[in-house]
Amino acid sequence: MTEPETDLTKTYDAVIIGSGAAGGMAAHVLTSHGLQVLLLEAGKKLPIEQELRSMEWPYDNAHRGSLPPESHSLTFNEYTIRKPPYGAGLENAQHLRSYVGNSDYLKNIVVDERENPYTGTNYAWVRARCLGGKTNIWGRLALRLSDYDFKAKSRDGFGEDWPISYSDIEPYYDKVDLYLGIMGVKENLPHLPDSIFQRPQKLNCAEVTLKQSLQKMGRVLTQYRAGVTSEGLKHNKYRSRCYGRGACERKGGCDIHAAFDSPTGLIYPAMDSANLSLRTNAVVREVTIDPQTGKASGVRFIDSQTMKDYTVRAKIVVLAASTLESARLLLLSKSRLHPNGLANSSGHVGHNFCEHIMGPGVTGRAKDLVGKPATLDDGRPGGFYLARFRNLSEKHPKFIRGYGFEGGSGCRMFPSGADVHGFGASFKEEVRKNQGAYISMGAFGEVLARYENFVDLDPVVKDKWGIPALRFHYNFGDNGHRMAEDMKETAQEMFEAAGFEMVHVRNRVLTEGWSIHELGTARMGNDPKTSVLNQFQQSHDVKNLFVVDGSAFVNASCQNPTWTIMALCWRSCDFLADEFRKGNL
Amino acid sequence: MSSDDPIDLRQDRREWLKTSAAALGASLLSGPAVTGEQPQAAPATKPAASSGQSKPTGPFFTPAQHTLVEELSETIIPADGHSGGAKAAKVADYIDQFLRETYDDNQKALWREGLRLVDLMSRHYRQKSFVDSGPEERIAVLQVLSDNDHMTDLPEVRFFIELKRLTARGYYTSKIGIHDELNYKGNRILEEYVGCDDQGSTS
Repeated sequence: MTEPETDLTKTYDAVIIGSGAAGGMAAHVLTSHGLQVLLLEAGKKLPIEQELRSMEWPYDNAHRGSLPPESHSLTFNEYTIRKPPYGAGLENAQHLRSYVGNSDYLKNIVVDERENPYTGTNYAWVRARCLGGKTNIWGRLALRLSDYDFKAKSRDGFGEDWPISYSDIEPYYDKVDLYLGIMGVKENLPHLPDSIFQRPQKLNCAEVTLKQSLQKMGRVLTQYRAGVTSEGLKHNKYRSRCYGRGACERKGGCDIHAAFDSPTGLIYPAMDSANLSLRTNAVVREVTIDPQTGKASGVRFIDSQTMKDYTVRAKIVVLAASTLESARLLLLSKSRLHPNGLANSSGHVGHNFCEHIMGPGVTGRAKDLVGKPATLDDGRPGGFYLARFRNLSEKHPKFIRGYGFEGGSGCRMFPSGADVHGFGASFKEEVRKNQGAYISMGAFGEVLARYENFVDLDPVVKDKWGIPALRFHYNFGDNGHRMAEDMKETAQEMFEAAGFEMVHVRNRVLTEGWSIHELGTARMGNDPKTSVLNQFQQSHDVKNLFVVDGSAFVNASCQNPTWTIMALCWRSCDFLADEFRKGNL
Repeated sequence: MSSDDPIDLRQDRREWLKTSAAALGASLLSGPAVTGEQPQAAPATKPAASSGQSKPTGPFFTPAQHTLVEELSETIIPADGHSGGAKAAKVADYIDQFLRETYDDNQKALWREGLRLVDLMSRHYRQKSFVDSGPEERIAVLQVLSDNDHMTDLPEVRFFIELKRLTARGYYTSKIGIHDELNYKGNRILEEYVGCDDQGSTS
């Protein structure tokens, strides 16, 4: 892989802002169509293997794997009681990180909150500014959406349908599966379509107990569908297959890149085509507009290290900065022609903001596993996924839409029971004997896309680079909270039915943003009055502007979004390249 | 007081806090007392445990405090027939480094105050410093705090919670904790995950 010098004097065919799942996919698809592409990333290019050190033992790490104690990562209580930008009382901490940042392996990947403030309602906003963004540390659960999601309005009347159906995106899910690799087991569920799976991992015994118990209730527990290659990818020399090395659940990422990440999965191969230039430390502040044509002409960015301002010209601008950062950029790009921000004639930019509500869950103990010799259970990328079962054939009286559970069981490097009551010899023995017997799961539910949930620009607060900060106006809403009540009850019922001894029932709903699945701030639609993008993530207002990240989602569904972001982006970039060739952009 | 009597921590602590002035004067500890005083800027006699960063300051704990933390952590996770305890796992060194490096002055103050209060409790209940007490007597003192761990308005209770949290953290991330005690099997190449023989397949 060579890294060509970025030439800011030439006009690129396309400039892509952001190098995460969406930006990497856009770079892959557009360069494979022969376009000359410049990829801009706000963060650094980190020596990522040295950051992640996936097999380092805690006792070989200066801080046992935790965030060095001179810095602080925000807690649930701080997110709950205090207000963004959450620095009060923590002035002595050298760096302030989001809740995810409590790990020595993530400390350079997630942003310093002080340099990147935001305001408004409580929100646990997790941002990774570095090449590859959050794909370096994502949870790897790779699920498809179905027409239960794309056509949800037709089913229950709320919100809007997507301008696409499952059949439109299915071939692109297949392409993503084959190009990036995914593990799992076919289940033939209409609401959770199967992928083209590589060799799956197995379930362990407590998980099988739960699965069999759920079968009697008509519910489906399946192996964690991980965006991880178990068999290797012959076309990709930057990624290894999974060797089940263990400690996968440790906060951090995969330093052999068996788990998908955008740099090794998409960006480095695209650079090998010689059609891709990359510039990191490029904080984009505005999409520029040609006043004659009203079309996008490129972007203005600041070098984060030198603080110098640059402009780069491109025939097409592709935003892939993340749901919230892309919305922020559109709002920042005000001009005489676009007084409400770019691509915002509908007034919907920043609105219909949605995500997943999480928190409720259970921990139980499989009594027959207590006292058994230690087993190796964390040598796999995840445990299980329990597919949505609400509002499929029956209508729930208290809420619409659904939720699924992620969970797992077995021994791990840091024992699950180290926080049980007591101390002394009995405590020590209890931790040891129970270490493989715990099983737990937590729910992820759909938060409805509502116009009144939105972000805008703070009139006063700016980030380190002088760019106006985002301001949140957001909450989960009544439907979300009623759903969370149900999550808690069904989780308990299912564990009791499986015969697990109940250890802990988690009632509390975690802070808005905790799922890191923010979506919907520039939604797609057929009507330019109520949507920002068309079905190819192309701005209704500005033909040569595309927004290819999660902001295009019309609803959040309850499935994890990364695989859909990439499938949708691939489809849109095929369209983009075709239109470009025809001279329509 | 007999160790079998139920103890009212709130009622009782008035008593032993009253005696604290006397206890301080009659400290049984040789060397720097286990008190709330700032430790001397002692020259660093041992390097920070496997720390890649060189910190300018010496140890957080005085030698006497370090001994007390060793015995407290060993009472939380003792050596037994199965494996070594917190002392062998050098948990006190881990906690010292954590406190030395933390930005959180409240946490530092809590540890100094907590060590002082636990030692006073020991003198009140057992007429001995914690370090000079036998294993059963040490357990009896910490049992009071463990049984009342909802009383988080009391600094000694908050200290006990932190002591247990950092002891567990330090112990289960040590070689002894991971390998000897838990016999952890992972963090090595695994060709095929064993899992359950029966995968519960419907087909």
